[in-house]
Amino acid sequence: MSQTVNVTQAATREIAGPLLELTDVTTHFRTPRGMVRAVDGVSFTLDRGQSLGIVGESGSGKTILSRSIMGLLPTRGTERGGSIKFAGREVGNLGRKQMRTIWGKEMAMIFQDPMTSLNPLMKIGAQISEPLRIHLGMSHADAAATARRLLQDVRIPEPDRRLEQYPHELSGGMRQRVMIAIAMACGPTALFADEPTTALDVTVQAQILDLLGEQRRDRNMSLVLVTHDLGVVAGHTDEIAVMYGGKLVEKAPTRRLFAAMKMPYTEALLASIPKMADPSHTRLSVIGGRPPDLVHPPIGCRFAPRCPYAREKCQSDEPPLIATDDDPSHTFACWYPVGSPEYHESRERNAAKKVEAA
Amino acid sequence: MTATIEAPVVEMPADAPPPKDSLRKRLHIPRFSVLFSVLWLVGLTTLTLLANYAPSVVQSIMYPYSTKIRANGKAAKYLAPNAQNWFGTGKSAEDIFSHCIYGAKVTLIIGVGATLVGLIVGGFIGIVSGYFRGWTDRISSIFTDCLLSIPPLLLALILILRLDDLKDVYSWLSWCTRTWQITLTLGLVAVAPFARIVRAQTLTLREREFVMAARSLGANRSRIIFRELLPNLVPAMLTVAFTGLGILIAAEAGLAFLGLGVESPHTWGKMIDIARDDIDKAWWATVFPCLMLFLTVLSFNLLGDELARRFDIREASV
Repeated sequence: MSQTVNVTQAATREIAGPLLELTDVTTHFRTPRGMVRAVDGVSFTLDRGQSLGIVGESGSGKTILSRSIMGLLPTRGTERGGSIKFAGREVGNLGRKQMRTIWGKEMAMIFQDPMTSLNPLMKIGAQISEPLRIHLGMSHADAAATARRLLQDVRIPEPDRRLEQYPHELSGGMRQRVMIAIAMACGPTALFADEPTTALDVTVQAQILDLLGEQRRDRNMSLVLVTHDLGVVAGHTDEIAVMYGGKLVEKAPTRRLFAAMKMPYTEALLASIPKMADPSHTRLSVIGGRPPDLVHPPIGCRFAPRCPYAREKCQSDEPPLIATDDDPSHTFACWYPVGSPEYHESRERNAAKKVEAA
Repeated sequence: MTATIEAPVVEMPADAPPPKDSLRKRLHIPRFSVLFSVLWLVGLTTLTLLANYAPSVVQSIMYPYSTKIRANGKAAKYLAPNAQNWFGTGKSAEDIFSHCIYGAKVTLIIGVGATLVGLIVGGFIGIVSGYFRGWTDRISSIFTDCLLSIPPLLLALILILRLDDLKDVYSWLSWCTRTWQITLTLGLVAVAPFARIVRAQTLTLREREFVMAARSLGANRSRIIFRELLPNLVPAMLTVAFTGLGILIAAEAGLAFLGLGVESPHTWGKMIDIARDDIDKAWWATVFPCLMLFLTVLSFNLLGDELARRFDIREASV
């Protein structure tokens, strides 16, 4: 690759501290119904080369959060707050013009639907080499050669032929590979993948996730994987953040989250995954009720109306995000976390009162 | 989990033979309407170009513009169609067929010119207001709404008469001949519908994921407009342009009929205007120019429909 890449990468990679630091990030939308609190006070940090999975059901604010970090939200009717630091620099309040120097080169994004995220009227080769020529000032020949190498990197057979094809000539998995190649063209330090596998079938899904993990290691890139599927993040990210109703409710290293979750919502999410060991036709356990209304979110814990362990305190006071006693990297927001004595007690009490969640 | 599952036996219906493509499809012959429109327009354009720029080639079927047909030693006014004068002759003993072909040049120039003016100006307004939205959109929408609220023929009438006056007063307007006046006014009439359709398309396109993907890779404004939006707008613009062409040609004929035509050569509208009083004794002098107009407008409309079908655009009305 040309020298410019090395310069920009070195510049962002040598600064000490986490790559991405979010402090109390809020994103609200003004609508005729009232203020929608899509993201409401999210804080976390992400180190260089680490990967983070953001999980949550539809409407939990995970996509809006990733777009807030990227600065890809419409400006009209949006109110943003808090601080987003990227490589030691505040990017939360940068304008379009300044963001343009960051987009592609330092942060890149892969979208959910590979069918619609490629320009239908441009050849694959042109779509990959365009950012190379704009951002890195490569010549046509250099860019074409790099595009070819990128296609090889994302395991596309016959790259020379593909460069000359249009998006409609490729399959969904192939197009998502092309999207990954485009996103990685300028060597970003952080890659946001917004449900990159939702539109693909399961076998292709695994290949794409493996490819993303591999590229992350090879390029020492940070990866944020946004998904509603815990199975997707399970084997592919270092840490998992669970979002509910616009808030971060639990964040832990992947293994720890699956083994010792604290938040009843995480527990319920995990319980709703079908297990191989179950006999067939076992009913899946579902989370009753519906996601909270983000215009008028519940007072107290937002999960309380659906939580089988909720008590009076949950409905009046909002639990803060605190670290567990034994692991500072495991944080959660719950008054009666899974496994605590009060948790068991409240479950029995609710069962006795026949209080069904929601 | 040892129970064996027996698949129920389902009678599969015998495979129906695959529907056979018609001979026309297998030979890749376009449908009749398309074939007809293309042949008609290509034929008309070739004939009129030859008649105007290489008259010797078409000498055998056409007369020079100012020729008066003579029969029995005097000017043959209103001669019925015959082997020499296919469409008959007109009021001043001119050959109707030749005049139809000469007139086609002006008609086509005005039609294409006005469509281009509408497409460029309207397309620009549409893209700008659709892409930037906000107050830019509001102001340009007010402008296009104003244009749409005035009856188009009335607007053209007033503008052409006004331009006539202005041309007499200001010498720098002398380039603005009648052909230019009609082209510009009809172009202005076409601006509003074009702007509306392009704006609507831009509004939907700008929210598509590939535009956001380009933005997330750091593409700047002009890049997004010219590389992402404009190429994707071409199908819609092309379709509307073809439908609009037909309408503008008819509008030009309407203006000529009302007496605001090009003086020489006479366009179809003007020919109809001249001959209509004598339609009782010489139907051919009116009917044949009408037929030319009808078939030309029909051809453009059919082509517009075909393009819309190919590009899958819902009825875009002008």
